[in-house]
Amino acid sequence: MAPASRPRRAPGGLAPDQRAELLLGALVCGVLLLVLALVVFVFREAWPSFARNGLRWFGPGGNPDQQIEAIFTSSDLLRKPVYTFHAWPIVWGTLLCTVGAVCLSFVAALFVAVFVVEFAPEWIRRVLEPVVRLLASVPSVIFGLLGVLVLVPFVGRHVITNDARRSVAYVVSLSGYSLLAGVVILSLMISPLMIAVFSDGLRAVPRGWLEGSLGLGINRWRTFWKIGVRTARPALVAGTVLATARALGETVMLAMVTGGVSFAPNPADGLIFFVEPTRPLAATILQTAEELTSSPMRHTIFAMAAVLLFSAALLSLAGWAAKQPMRKYGARP
Amino acid sequence: MTTRTTALLGVVAALAVPIAAPAASHAATVFGSGSSAMQPYFDALAAGYKKVDRHATFVYNPDGGNAGARDVQQGKSAFALQTRPPLPSDSGLSYSKLFLDGLCVAVNPANSLRGLSIGQVRDIFLGNVTAWQQVGSNLNAPISAFGRNSTAGLYTFFQSAVLDGATQATNVTQLDTDGEVAVAVARNQAGIGYVGLASSGPGSGVKRLKLGGQPCQASAIKTLKYPLSRYGWIVLPARHPNRTATRFADWVRTSYAAGQIIAKAGAVPAFNATHPPKKPKKRARKRT
Repeated sequence: MAPASRPRRAPGGLAPDQRAELLLGALVCGVLLLVLALVVFVFREAWPSFARNGLRWFGPGGNPDQQIEAIFTSSDLLRKPVYTFHAWPIVWGTLLCTVGAVCLSFVAALFVAVFVVEFAPEWIRRVLEPVVRLLASVPSVIFGLLGVLVLVPFVGRHVITNDARRSVAYVVSLSGYSLLAGVVILSLMISPLMIAVFSDGLRAVPRGWLEGSLGLGINRWRTFWKIGVRTARPALVAGTVLATARALGETVMLAMVTGGVSFAPNPADGLIFFVEPTRPLAATILQTAEELTSSPMRHTIFAMAAVLLFSAALLSLAGWAAKQPMRKYGARP
Repeated sequence: MTTRTTALLGVVAALAVPIAAPAASHAATVFGSGSSAMQPYFDALAAGYKKVDRHATFVYNPDGGNAGARDVQQGKSAFALQTRPPLPSDSGLSYSKLFLDGLCVAVNPANSLRGLSIGQVRDIFLGNVTAWQQVGSNLNAPISAFGRNSTAGLYTFFQSAVLDGATQATNVTQLDTDGEVAVAVARNQAGIGYVGLASSGPGSGVKRLKLGGQPCQASAIKTLKYPLSRYGWIVLPARHPNRTATRFADWVRTSYAAGQIIAKAGAVPAFNATHPPKKPKKRARKRT
């Protein structure tokens, strides 16, 4: 038996494998440092706004649009900088848009994924899968244009009544630019991502488990729902986390269709609540970014960015925590 | 020199040509930014200027009038187009009037209303008047008001000229561009919005209202009788302005050709020559 040959060493004294390991390790460390630098930079820029407002930054009080105007005009000559900002309507708008869209698209995406993986005839599957992939890659501005030209006028004409408009006319204008328009289009945007991840998770369920259940005489729907979907729960969590992150950061489309007013839709208004305008955090950053050169405005904008960044980190953590109890089922995450 | 070195130099030279070529061809590219309401005029004028200087290429980013002025202050843009007069915060900038424009108040064509007073427009955009019948319209519906967000130069002008410095009400839907306001009004029977002259012309789907009895038209704007007449401004750095941008600004302000383009694009030429320059007569050759 020939002795195993030793790995060839480079002139520097390192084996090719070690070199690759070091290089990749350095690359990963570089990326981590970059992320860390990004977080530090965002929070450092955001700090003056948080420090001057405290926890009231997240609370209600006044009209944020007027506050924004006061903040950026305060950087003009001979004026004291103003930092007062109470972001509750904007934070509430972000929560509503994100949670609404994720709930709506989760149900739709789950049923579509189950259909595609288990019940769809081969020819439908061949059509559906590329369509879903195409939908996932459509730029958000196209969805925004569709919203402005089709959905917003439709909601304005056919969903909102004149009585509803009159009832809130002194506070807010119900013109079709609304939470509903934002949620519906956002659902359309994030559903393909969910469908893709859910489908992969459902396909990974071992066939033997399903066949065992079918062999016991249990019908296909019940088998797939009880075993397939249950086993694929980590994938459902992963898909939902990814889609929520996309929804949270969506900017252009929401700036185009939600009405651009920092107003907190009020559930106590009844059904009108859904057609009230709002403006989420990312859209607010986009609309106020013109004023980045004003120092207090820059700190306020970075404070909003820091909230988004923190939410995204929290979301990843929540996703990881949600997957932990599911490990006992032995399904692949 | 060895053959290998010669070959290497040849390859380097061959690679250098395509890398250097774009730099040379972009020598006359001038970056500008500013008002989105001024973009339709700028596009038409920049296309027309090609006949004067075919090497001049302009890239315009409509990021808002106020942002454009700041871009010039920071040296990011060679020029900015602006719809409001200079403010104390515009230090280090030189403002020049280019042409006249009107900020029109527009409604949906389904609205029978022909005109409003400045006071009525103020009441609508401050949320004091919320029903069309309160201002004598045929519509039995609440008003849907559309405007620009607070960082737009157009809003700054509207705020000072109409709202007396007050902030527009929460019941005004705030949109990002002039075109979006026009589309929103065109698609909403109860809509009203303030838009630039170019975005409210024929084909835009909106109807311009008379303000204080004066139509939002070139004739009333040129004589400054229309209350929301305003100048379109070019903003250049006070020191060392870009030569191409300066020449372009002079051409826009004074030339007959630019005046024709401005009028065609929907604005009103203010300082342009009214007659085309006379062509120099050719001398008749004496026959010998």
